[in-house]
Amino acid sequence: MAIDSSASLPLSWPRRHPGKLVLLAALALLLIFGAPKSPVFAALYEWSPALAVGFGQNILISLLAIAIGSLLGLLIGALAVSPLWITRLPARIWVQVFRNAPWLVLIYFTTYVFPFELHIGKSWIAFPDWVKVTIGLALPASANVAEIFRGAIGSIPSTQWEASRSLAFTRGQIFRSIILPQCFKRMLPPWMNLYAVITMGTALASLVGVHDLIDTAQIASNTVNLTGFTVLIYFSVLALFFAYCYPISRITQFLERRYAFS
Amino acid sequence: MSHWLEWFVQWTAKFGLNYSFLLDAYQRGSMVNGALTTILLCLFTIIGSLLAGVALAAMLTSGKAYLAKPARVFIEVTRNTPTLVQLYCAFLVLNMLLTQAVGTANPLTPFAWVVIVISLHKGAFHAEALRAGIEAVPVVTLEAASSLAFSSRQLLWNVQLPLAMRFALPSLINNLIDLVKMTAVASAIAVGDITYASIMIWTQSDNVLELMIVLLAFFGLLSFVVNCVGRALEAKLRMPGYGH
Amino acid sequence: MPSPETRAEQPLISLRDIHLSFGSNRVLRGIDLDVQRGQAVSIIGPSGSGKSTILRCITGLLQPQRGNIRVGETEVHKLKSEAQRIELRKRVGFVFQQYNLFPHLSVLENLVIAPRKVLGRNSAQAEQEARALLAKVRMEHKADAYPGQLSGGQQQRVAIARALAMRPELILFDEVTSALDPETVGEVLTVIRELTEEGMTCVLVTHEMRFAEDISDVVYFTENGLIVEHGSAEQIFQRPVSERTQAFLRHALGDAGRRPAAAGDPYLLSNISRYGLSV
Repeated sequence: MAIDSSASLPLSWPRRHPGKLVLLAALALLLIFGAPKSPVFAALYEWSPALAVGFGQNILISLLAIAIGSLLGLLIGALAVSPLWITRLPARIWVQVFRNAPWLVLIYFTTYVFPFELHIGKSWIAFPDWVKVTIGLALPASANVAEIFRGAIGSIPSTQWEASRSLAFTRGQIFRSIILPQCFKRMLPPWMNLYAVITMGTALASLVGVHDLIDTAQIASNTVNLTGFTVLIYFSVLALFFAYCYPISRITQFLERRYAFS
Repeated sequence: MSHWLEWFVQWTAKFGLNYSFLLDAYQRGSMVNGALTTILLCLFTIIGSLLAGVALAAMLTSGKAYLAKPARVFIEVTRNTPTLVQLYCAFLVLNMLLTQAVGTANPLTPFAWVVIVISLHKGAFHAEALRAGIEAVPVVTLEAASSLAFSSRQLLWNVQLPLAMRFALPSLINNLIDLVKMTAVASAIAVGDITYASIMIWTQSDNVLELMIVLLAFFGLLSFVVNCVGRALEAKLRMPGYGH
Repeated sequence: MPSPETRAEQPLISLRDIHLSFGSNRVLRGIDLDVQRGQAVSIIGPSGSGKSTILRCITGLLQPQRGNIRVGETEVHKLKSEAQRIELRKRVGFVFQQYNLFPHLSVLENLVIAPRKVLGRNSAQAEQEARALLAKVRMEHKADAYPGQLSGGQQQRVAIARALAMRPELILFDEVTSALDPETVGEVLTVIRELTEEGMTCVLVTHEMRFAEDISDVVYFTENGLIVEHGSAEQIFQRPVSERTQAFLRHALGDAGRRPAAAGDPYLLSNISRYGLSV
């Protein structure tokens, strides 16, 4: 009985979601038969490569930002749990400042305060706006990663520390071989959630002139200048972000549930 | 007042910071207006988001599929798309359609759109917190209330909601702190909040760093105030013997 | 106190042929039970035999699929609306295994809230009565404490006072000592014993065999959703007819049916700990 029901689980989707299935089918039919005739859909088709490039820019920024933010965040998180107050204090201040600042203000900050060129050795290297935005997003990301790290370490039961200490491990050894392996598993769901939030944060890049998805959509909307197209393109942008972030949030929920029981 | 400002400008100049815009009555005025607009925006959206959150949570926990499903879809869409895009969909699309429909009679200002969009956005997060709080109320406690002859309405107001509120409060406070920061996005559609006022000043005077410090301090202060009010409320509603 | 043999008057509670299933799980399979006014009736039996379900049917928290339930003049099985069941619950007190006090209200507020909101009594009078009830269960010194600050036994005594505050005609006790530390069981049982001695109609589901034997006028033994046997406490515990009852009692009393020395017996505690792990 139980085996039977679990085996049929993947197949039960159409039965459990008849409404969604009908909706999807209707949408597909509308696109296939209605789209080619309407100028609005034709324009969307024409602009779709540009939109794809724009969204690629968003994803590139988000990936770089989470990478930089994670590395920086782990470093700061490690400092924040250090027993020495001289390293702990600056790390805590960093976390407080960048967690409590509006992301938009941080993006303005990196965009306008950083120079547009960097002087490295004898050559000048361009410092494009999208890299500045990436750094602007990596700053709050690092603060959040540090906090996730600290939370994960705090969530390891103190008995693990006692048990390791009783086996004559040093503090460093305890961290490396006992605590950290347990931490990373606990950090994964909130870290993925943070990545989704950063991806949504890349939408702010358009406000400082980065040619991302939203910027492209605005240009397209102004160029085509049809009411129907304006409606369509902004909701397409919404749909694109949703299509990218929703699966991440579902996987996050799945992992959270799985780890909650193990 | 102006005496203190002058002293402050001179003092900060020692660190290489140029706060001379504070001495300019016009720029100072726009900054003060911006700060007031942000505070107003926060107050409206805090109230709006809590109302939206309660309504959505009520739909989620109603047990009726025709209410719960739309609420769930709305919450998932809201949580998984950028606020800025939602704001554009509302202000550039819905507002455009509204203006085309009713002409200049359109009563909704950019300020109103920001209040609506952020209220609904954070309302979705509140709803999740409230739903979790409602579900955290033990079934046996509700059964106890039933056995004391409470009607379902009395049970909701005297037992279920007071307990759910206490369970949800920490999440709600975090959401509200996030909301305060989120209001900065209003500058994207030219609502004259403090961020917008700063942009206007630094494009003229090239004093980005100085204004940035003001902005961070201002939002830090607002978050701090919300946090303090929240903690005070938590302390007031604390159930001795449960949690901390 | 009327003995079970002389049932001249109509019983206060009467259950006839009660059937109740949760899905395919048949919990009650034809229960008949009578409780006279002023009696203390215990329902004993193995875990999962539907004892608590019977109590929940009496107060309308659960509705059986078949059968008649009468409490006083009320035909419980005929009640259609929640409003009618609420009228019933005003007359029937219920004390839970997990106490189920309202954690956000102080002890006094826990006692006052239902009389005020449900019965519409004025708050000064309700509070005065609540303090008297707290004194009765020896908890008057904790009137302003919160449930989370009390021990299990203290919480359970407050829960009994909370049920009494509604001035019920009868009280149902659902394994009220099962979740308690052995040291605090006694203080709760003392309160219940006093209630039965005052003539309050009590129906108890319990695993405290010694206590059940001591205070009950009538004892019902249930197993697998059926009443196997009922009779006076003396008859059930000393001369059980059914083999099932004998087997259960042998098991529950931890001895080959022989009665060890009465109250204060250390086996009583092992008895509790075995059934008390349902938290």
